[in-house]
Amino acid sequence: MSIPWPSTVIEQLEQDPFVIRNPKTWSHFHSYGGWGRFFNALRQSKLMGTRCRNRACGEKRLWLPPRCECPDCWHEMEWAEAPQTGRVFTWSVVRYPGELFKLPPGTPLISVELEGVCTKLMSWLKEGEPQIGMKVRAVFNTQRPTNTILDLAWVPA
Amino acid sequence: MIHFGKGNLRIPKFERPVYVVAGGLTDYRKRYPEKNTCQLCVEALRMAVEENDLKVDPEQVRRSVNWCVYSQFADHFGDQLLAAAKVHDYLGFDPLGNIEVKTGGATGGSGVLAAAQAVASGYASCVPVIGWERMDEVATKVGNSYIASAACKDFESELGWMYAAYYALMAQRYQFENSVPRETLARIACKNHEYACSSPYAQNPGKYTIADVLNNEIVSHPLAFLECCVMSVGAAVLLVCDEETAHRFTDQPIRLSAICGGSHTLRTADRRAMPILLLPNETEATYKEYFGSRRTDWPGFSSFLASRMAAYLAYHMAGIKDPLEDFDLLETHDAFTISDVQTYEDIGLRPYGRGREFIESGDAYYEGRLPTNLSGGLIGTMHAVGATGIFQLVELLWQLQGKYDKFHGDAKRWTRYGKTKPADWRSLQVKNARRGCAISHAGTGSHVTCAILEKPS
Repeated sequence: MSIPWPSTVIEQLEQDPFVIRNPKTWSHFHSYGGWGRFFNALRQSKLMGTRCRNRACGEKRLWLPPRCECPDCWHEMEWAEAPQTGRVFTWSVVRYPGELFKLPPGTPLISVELEGVCTKLMSWLKEGEPQIGMKVRAVFNTQRPTNTILDLAWVPA
Repeated sequence: MIHFGKGNLRIPKFERPVYVVAGGLTDYRKRYPEKNTCQLCVEALRMAVEENDLKVDPEQVRRSVNWCVYSQFADHFGDQLLAAAKVHDYLGFDPLGNIEVKTGGATGGSGVLAAAQAVASGYASCVPVIGWERMDEVATKVGNSYIASAACKDFESELGWMYAAYYALMAQRYQFENSVPRETLARIACKNHEYACSSPYAQNPGKYTIADVLNNEIVSHPLAFLECCVMSVGAAVLLVCDEETAHRFTDQPIRLSAICGGSHTLRTADRRAMPILLLPNETEATYKEYFGSRRTDWPGFSSFLASRMAAYLAYHMAGIKDPLEDFDLLETHDAFTISDVQTYEDIGLRPYGRGREFIESGDAYYEGRLPTNLSGGLIGTMHAVGATGIFQLVELLWQLQGKYDKFHGDAKRWTRYGKTKPADWRSLQVKNARRGCAISHAGTGSHVTCAILEKPS
């Protein structure tokens, strides 16, 4: 019996130094786990955060991105809807995004300040020119969702 | 952690003194297919044992080593899991124990911290810290994606797949709160590119004007290419020892009087307001008028709690009262011009809101009060991530030993890397330097170490 040489060839790009091309094309099957409720809610145009259930805990505000357990006391948190209007805390227009970015170069990224929320959610501005302090409202990609955080965006309010 | 308990702010201590005795580097390049990772690490180690005027030969160093620390940021880049085992083998250190450390951009600093802990506790007496990064196996755009995998992949990475953008968000807010002129940020870029011109190791040296930086193409508004760190291939080695070994190896041991770490949330978004943690040179009065309509909270997006925490611990550990007075040299993690200004404040060179003065006053320059990033830093010389924090300490070690010229000015060294020593080369040796500080920094401030090297008195 003789085993044939492999039929797949790894391409040589340079001779000296000897450089080859290693292709990588597989998938990761990633679960959002307990945060999945946030992503499911985006399809219903809802912005869901979490709040600590422990009455003794000092943090009464909402967390967005949500957390399943409170980092201050390790107690379980409960889900609650976050406000859908807020203000731009900071922004940047990304001219040279990395590979995998699903939006065009020139998309403004923003951090949004929401009342009653202890974090400043990172997101993107779908319409208008960003400015610190400008009022924005949430919009949701319900038609053809990407199933990522990009399904949430903001427009001037 | 908003409210500190007493235990949270305990000042670390070493059970016995820790020294650094030798350092080695490779040159740093955007692409380095001529040498594989193992070769680069061997090259840096050989420089450490052969070219640091040690009193013992390399074989005696080998026979003294009893633990190794490896430092590589991203398995993604090298495409080799357990790469430390391979490097350890190629360095000929089997079957000695070793550990690989990973804390993003602060990996090098954390690696040295791990080695210091081993020596200070008595676990080991002679520990080489070997760091590297191989960032040239993928296109730059893919490389930026890999780096952005070190942001939160569920809620942030998709927003740009670009770390410069996450720093740009901080830059915009910092500018809004503190109105730093663009020219001041540009001066940091000009300074570090220029200092890199004196370094044979440097990947991105250049003499730029402020106008060059201001007219440079934008990566993510407001940061331009010239204000961002390079992506590098290369290695660095630092030899960490106990007192007895240090004196056996060299007549010029340098003491690692402190190295401490701090942390903060991976997402900048999740940083809640808290009272400012005060350094020894600050009081509550320092910040009496700090907060107002634009500066509403601390640390917010303008400050790095991780850097403040690391500096707080290291300053107390080493007895630093005022960093501007007590340090003769500083190496910061200048990944971006803006993060450098933020760091000046976090480590107490100026109070919060006034970091720009450190540059504008001339303090940060060679022959200024606290020359900063004479190595060329991450903007001018290198950011082979796992090697970076080690590289900073190697450069400080050589400065404190008075060997800047030996390691940067020898024409043969330039030839070794296929370069010609510039006709206008200038020495950046700081005369009579006694104490230096290095800040190693990850993420948007997720991990930071603060190390203090000093000449024993």
